[in-house]
This record gives sequence, C-alpha cells and structure tokens, in this order.
Amino acid sequence: MMTLRDSILATLLAALALSAMPWLLSAFALSLTLTCLMYAGLAVSWAMFCGATNYLSLATAAFFGMGAYVTAWGAEALPYGVAVLLGGLVAAAFAALVGAAVLHLRGAYFAVITFGLGELVRHAITYYEKSYAGTVGRVISAPPEAATIYHTVLLLSALAVVTALAVRASRLGLALRGIGADEERARTLGVNTRRAKVLAFSLSAFFAGALGAAMAMRWTYIDPLSVFNPFIGFQTVLIAMVGGAHTILGPIASAVLFSLLTEFLRLQFPYLFLIMLGFLLILLVLYLPGGLASLFARWRWRKSNA
Amino acid sequence: MAFWFELVATGLITGGIYALVALGLNLQYGLMRIMNISHGEFLMLGAYLTWLGHTVLQVNPLAFLPVVALALFLVGVAVYWLCFARIIHTAPAVEVIEARSLLVGFGLMFLVQNAAYLAWGADLRGYSYLAEPVDLGGARFMANRLVVFAFAVGASLALLAVLRWTLIGKAVRAMMQSPTGAQLVGIDTRVLHPVVFGLGLAMAGIAGGLLSMVYEISPGMGEPYTVTALIVIVLGGLGSAAGCLLGGMLLGLVEAFGMHFTSPSLKMLLSYAVLIGVLLARPKGLFAR
Repeated sequence: MMTLRDSILATLLAALALSAMPWLLSAFALSLTLTCLMYAGLAVSWAMFCGATNYLSLATAAFFGMGAYVTAWGAEALPYGVAVLLGGLVAAAFAALVGAAVLHLRGAYFAVITFGLGELVRHAITYYEKSYAGTVGRVISAPPEAATIYHTVLLLSALAVVTALAVRASRLGLALRGIGADEERARTLGVNTRRAKVLAFSLSAFFAGALGAAMAMRWTYIDPLSVFNPFIGFQTVLIAMVGGAHTILGPIASAVLFSLLTEFLRLQFPYLFLIMLGFLLILLVLYLPGGLASLFARWRWRKSNA
Repeated sequence: MAFWFELVATGLITGGIYALVALGLNLQYGLMRIMNISHGEFLMLGAYLTWLGHTVLQVNPLAFLPVVALALFLVGVAVYWLCFARIIHTAPAVEVIEARSLLVGFGLMFLVQNAAYLAWGADLRGYSYLAEPVDLGGARFMANRLVVFAFAVGASLALLAVLRWTLIGKAVRAMMQSPTGAQLVGIDTRVLHPVVFGLGLAMAGIAGGLLSMVYEISPGMGEPYTVTALIVIVLGGLGSAAGCLLGGMLLGLVEAFGMHFTSPSLKMLLSYAVLIGVLLARPKGLFAR
C-alpha cells in the first residue's frame, strides 16, 4: 500500500510527464488528452464527496456551467488565471449555500434536487441572457493559447487528485466515510456531519467550477445548453461509478476509457454508440457493481492468496 | 370568467398527463426503490406504438390503447427480470438499490432512446385525430385534448381504485409499508415486483399513446416527462398514489398560470422553482401529515 506522500509524488510526476504533451502531440491528440483530463478531474472531484458519503449528486453540470459563465462574463475584465479561480470559488460558494440547505436530504431526494438545481440555474441564466443581455450564447473573443488551457486543466485535475488523496487521509475523509456507512452513527460518535458534508461538497464543486471556467476558454463559444448540459453531470457520475467511486485510480482510468470510446465511436456510429454505452452500463452495474477498481482489487487479492 | 375557466382547464389537462406519467414512476419507487430515470423513454415507445397502429394498421388510437398498455406491461416485466431483479437481490442496502437502479435507468435511457432514433429517425411524427374545436362552458377546446384528459384521469383513478380495493392493491400497499412484514404474511415479492414494474410502464405507455393524439412525437420526447414526473412525485410525496394525482394537477395549474402571467420561456424555471421550494419546505410532500 502506497503512503500518502508516495501517492502525491506519483500524481505530481504523472502531471509533470503530461505537461510536456503540448510539444509532443498533434492538435487532435492534445484535444483528446484534454478531454480525458477534464473528465478525470470531474470524476475524481465528484467521487471525493459522493463516493465516500454515498450521496448521489447530479449537480456537476450546474457547477461546471457556473464556472463557464464566470469566464464568459468576466473574460474581458479579468486575467485568465483569475477568471478560472473565480469560477471555482463561485461554484464552491453556491455549493456551500445549497449544501447547507439541502444536505439533510438523502438518497433519491438529494439526487433529484441537485439535478433540479442545475436545471434551475440553467433556465435562470437562459432567461437572463435572453431578456436583459439580448443574446443566447457568448463568444469569448481573445482565448488564451491551447497549451495554456491544457496546462490549466492539467493543473486543476492534478490538484483534484492530490486534494482527493489528502482528504481521504484526513479526519474529514474519515468523517465522510463514516457518513457513508451510517450517518446516524457518525453523528452519535461526535462527527459534525453537517460541516463535513458542506465542506466536502463545496470542495468538490470548486474543481467542477474551475474546470468549467477553463474549458469555456477552450470552446470559445458557450451557451447555457452546452455548458449546463445534464450529460456532463451524468457522464461524470457514470465515469466515477464505472471506475469505482470509492477509489481514486478507478475514476481516472474510466475517464480515459470513456473519452477515447466517445471520441472514436461516437462520430462514426452516433446512435449505435450510445446504445452500446447503455448496454455496457447496465452490464457493468449488474455484474461489476464495485466498478473497474474491484477487478483490480480482486486480481490483487488472488495474487496475494496464490 | 370564461378566461379563468379556460386557464384552469388548460392546466388540468396538462396536469392529467403529468399525473398519469408520475403514477407509474411513483409506484416503482415506492415499492422497489427503483428510481427509473428511463420512464419517459417508455412513454415515447407508447407514443410510437400508437402512431404505428394508426398509420400502418389504421386502428383508432383510442381502441389501440389497451394493446399499447399490454405491450408495455410485458416489456416492463421483461426489463424487470433482465435488469432490476438482480440489483434488488444483490444490493446490501436500500441506498445502494437507489444508486444502482439510477445508473441502470441511465443505461436504459441511452439504449431505448437511441434505438428509437435508429429505427424512426429524428423527425417529428404525428397524425391528426379529433382535431376539431368543441365549445364547453363558453370556452373552446380541441376535442382531442378533452379526450386525452378524460382518459388520463380515468386511467389514474382506475389505478387508484385497484390499489385501494383489490387484493393485489392491498398487497402493494402492505409491501410499501413494511417489505419484511408483507413477506412474512405470504406476499410474494417475486410476483409482485415485476407486475408493479410492468404496471408502471403500462401507465407510461398509455400516457405516451394519449400524447401522440395531441402533439407531434420524436424519440427525445420522453426525457422532459421523466423530469416532470420526478417533480410531481416530490410534490405528492414519494410512494403516495393519491398525492401523485393531486401533485400532477397542481403542477399543471402552476405551469398554466405561470406561463400566462409571466412568459412561456419561464415554464421550466417555474417547475424547478416549485420542486426546490417544496423539497426545502416539505420534503415529505405537500400532502404529508
């Protein structure tokens, strides 16, 4: 078993290796890597809260879109780095506010309300843009270079992994796992469950928001439907759960897998690809409910027993 | 006066469909903790079946409804056996059932929706049925909307009656109150679960068939109804069938009035605002005691 320091070191080394990619890869391969990184960051930060606590949040799209709109609205006035940071902070603040109000709901209620919140924000922004700004989408006029965006997303995703590792090893991580196992018991044992949940929820929202802010620069044109697309949220949940939401490596591996599959199959067979995706998803949930990570664990268990 | 009447009636007509869609979903959730996010996809299948029946076989869409209901019921039983039975039997806790069934629901959604795109294409389809205006109490309605309303409410009430007065309905209610207790007195989960799941899809199928008489249909038509159904369920309370009927009507009214007094583009905003308001103020549903 790797210690916390080893894992963080490994993450940083991997990030360092990946940071050379803009000079090594073609534009197409680079954009593919960017997608992988984005989903890895989203899935890891989602799993940081949801995997440990068993709360099913569908609000990722809301945080992502809010971050994107912070960049869209502030692109002219703010420097790039500040916009990304601000995008993350706005999403985190929103999550803290919302979390304080709704985190007493569990299970399906929580899933439904987080989904509803995302849609609420999306419709509110659509309405605002239409009636006050007189526009549907926004064009970002002077986006930074592709390599800069790539490095930002890489940095954010690496930070998300490091944060997830650190949280897992901390008291907060223990509290979250306690909540996931039995919330009543955790509270009885003196865990301030409310504070732990709100803290972790907004921490995970920070990364979704910052990633959204960075990716908006990449897309250069954004409208509410594309950045608040519920499929960003669904895809994140799927990736994390298929990978194994209680692990960190699992979501990363499945983010790469999903992004590659999407890239290569979706354009050629759009409908057939999604049919296959659906089928695959059902099979995975039914026969490998612990995610890809459980395959690895099983393999290791078998090796140690051989 | 006629104006108010028309507004209320419009709200109730939409609400009737909402209630019908939500009822099936609510039964599935209340009984089995299956959050079937692909519910709207089966509504879409019902709509396409009715459309096929009307255009290919030249059958009256209303007469075709029982066929649609039966077909969707069988589909539901099959889907239950293939997908959800295993989850329910292997999951260690209720929350795990909810999470896994939600994922399987997403899978089914991708599967069914895209299969429909593959089979019928993305074009809007439709046919005209009873599209003549009728005067009623000083207001004018399309005849097909009135028929749809009558059938939606009729089907909902029939389901309520089944739950209230028949043995199987009693078994379902017992199962909702206490799964273990119900099994102890000899209620067979292995029969009841697939039957109720099938019933839920049959309801969605009927709703879809009814909708195809009024609106144009497309493979993506189901999703908004899934979301609306979730909202209605929250309004009425998870697992409460009568609450569902009232919640559906209420949401229809809120939408009709809201759209009239603000703007049609605020429709979804209003629904979500209602959803979030209710979840925050009364998470057990509006009518919970």
